[in-house]
Amino acid sequence: MKNDLWATLYRGMVRANAWEQQLLRFIEQGLTSGFYHAGRGQEAVAVGACAAVRDDDYLLYDHRGLGQAIAKGIPLDRLYGDFLTRETGTTRGLGAGIVHIAWPELGILGQSGTLGGAFPIASGAALAAQMRGSDQVVICFFGEGAANRGTFLEAANVASLWKLPVIWLCENNGWSVSVSFEASSATANIADRASAYNMPGVIVDGMDVVAVHEVVVAAVARARAGEGPTLIEAKTYRFRGHYEGDPQTYREDEELEMWKKKDPIVLHEKRLLENGYSEAELGAIRNEVAEEIAVAADRALAAPKPPMERVFEGVLA
Amino acid sequence: MITLGKAINMGLRRALTEDPKVLVMGEDVGKLGGVFRVTENLQSEFGEDRIIDTPLAESGILGTAIGLALRGYRPVCEIQFDGFVYPAFDQITSQLAKMHARSLGTLKLPVVVRIPYGGGIGAVEHHSESNETYFAHTAGLRVVTCSNPNDAYWMMQQAIQSDDPVIFFEPKRRYWDKAEVNEEAPSLGLHETRTVQEGSDLTLISYGPTVRTAIEVAAVCAKEGRSVEVMDLRTLSPLDLAPVFESAQKTGRVVILHEAPTFLGLGAEIASQITEECFYSLDAPVLRVGGFNVPYPPARLEEHYLPDLDRTLDAIDRAFAF
Repeated sequence: MKNDLWATLYRGMVRANAWEQQLLRFIEQGLTSGFYHAGRGQEAVAVGACAAVRDDDYLLYDHRGLGQAIAKGIPLDRLYGDFLTRETGTTRGLGAGIVHIAWPELGILGQSGTLGGAFPIASGAALAAQMRGSDQVVICFFGEGAANRGTFLEAANVASLWKLPVIWLCENNGWSVSVSFEASSATANIADRASAYNMPGVIVDGMDVVAVHEVVVAAVARARAGEGPTLIEAKTYRFRGHYEGDPQTYREDEELEMWKKKDPIVLHEKRLLENGYSEAELGAIRNEVAEEIAVAADRALAAPKPPMERVFEGVLA
Repeated sequence: MITLGKAINMGLRRALTEDPKVLVMGEDVGKLGGVFRVTENLQSEFGEDRIIDTPLAESGILGTAIGLALRGYRPVCEIQFDGFVYPAFDQITSQLAKMHARSLGTLKLPVVVRIPYGGGIGAVEHHSESNETYFAHTAGLRVVTCSNPNDAYWMMQQAIQSDDPVIFFEPKRRYWDKAEVNEEAPSLGLHETRTVQEGSDLTLISYGPTVRTAIEVAAVCAKEGRSVEVMDLRTLSPLDLAPVFESAQKTGRVVILHEAPTFLGLGAEIASQITEECFYSLDAPVLRVGGFNVPYPPARLEEHYLPDLDRTLDAIDRAFAF
């Protein structure tokens, strides 16, 4: 049976992927640097989770892909502008990358540069929501690598102690650059660590957008009800290198091929086709997204680059 | 007469009263009132929601404050001792200092970080350091320090009103120094250098805990017939050096006195700028008096480490002998 939410989630993943494919073309063309950490393979986590929060909820994202910010609704030409150093960027061309992208009107509070730096900031934004008596929540994305930062302890402890409305969403893609999860974690799962902070720890199939959506909906409900944070671990995989140009000598081709069989977009497409959607309908969604991406890319490319004197802008208020 | 520590307390109280978005957070700032009692009685007056006892986690304190600031609050974080700020260094330099620039001003970071700094209280390493240069070297931060109760009272309020992050260094060995506080109006803005006393033969520049030392030095020099102009920088980033240049051009001799190690300390930057701006007015090289380039020594030896009257007078002799 057709399900509007499922179709929306499909469109969300197609958008995130199409946006990234165009960015990769820009990188190939030398229009922006290869300092980009592709999110291909992990779209279900970003899209499934962000569909469970409102526009006024807060997002702290990490370096892997732009799926989270895209799913939260940030204008796509703005994102291209940040990478292409164009006036359409969220910083009108000074950003040149992920770290600089913030969009407060949609609750997007940015990325912290150093991974794991966002953990206490998430607790702070959640404390602000709690102090104001609003029912906003904070969703904080991070990888299993950043989960090893000490800042997680500091932030997770107060979030649970003060019952702050945070969803800690760990995208465990198995690899912290070149070091495997098994070689870097004392626990078999990141979610196992939740009990140390007296909060629920949930493991979900990160390749299944509907499953991710459902667990995040539950965590958001818990947070809005004042019951505190939840740690969700989505088991996923990155299909591309840590960065563009990564030789990836650290992992086996077989492992990558095995995970590619669980491509979240392909899997969800199958689900839709089995539930009343036609190939033509899905094709129409893909075409609409392609058109949207083309327009955004053209708009960003047409915008001027900032002159050198703008480098001095914005350092202080 | 009010102590410097009490003056900061009064400044915080006034800011908390005037703006409900002002919060105080840190280790032991609530029930205890801080290890130096600077936040004494604030929690009983303003409640546990605004005067927040945090876990012992400096990175967490700063990050939480950043999150609060992003959503409209004006947190004042206490770092219990200077050396305890290092666990929060990433939050301060990579997040707090940069988020405004990263977002081109879309995000505002009105956070004050209070740091009791410097030695002279018989403490040890991590409790006696002067680490202001790390923060002055980071664009996106404002860095100030007070030397007397009146400045402490007003500068704290001005720092809280700033829309930028302010690292507020408090000269801990001067917490108990007493002076009058004028509660009517501030005498200077947050980022202005003060000429503490005028003189004609030599300019002695200092800030924070060594301003009192500088005043004592000037008194001794006066007895020897040397007229020393004493300047209190107050603002370490941005620097306000126009009055310093004017003074150097007048006296022709400059000594800079601070507690931090002279090696790559603020004195080096100031000396360099004075040399660039006032070269033809100088009768002697700009000299520096400060801490040695060593870890802070044991308490029983700190009197040899801290730049004092004798070491400063010696530098002044050298400036005149040149």
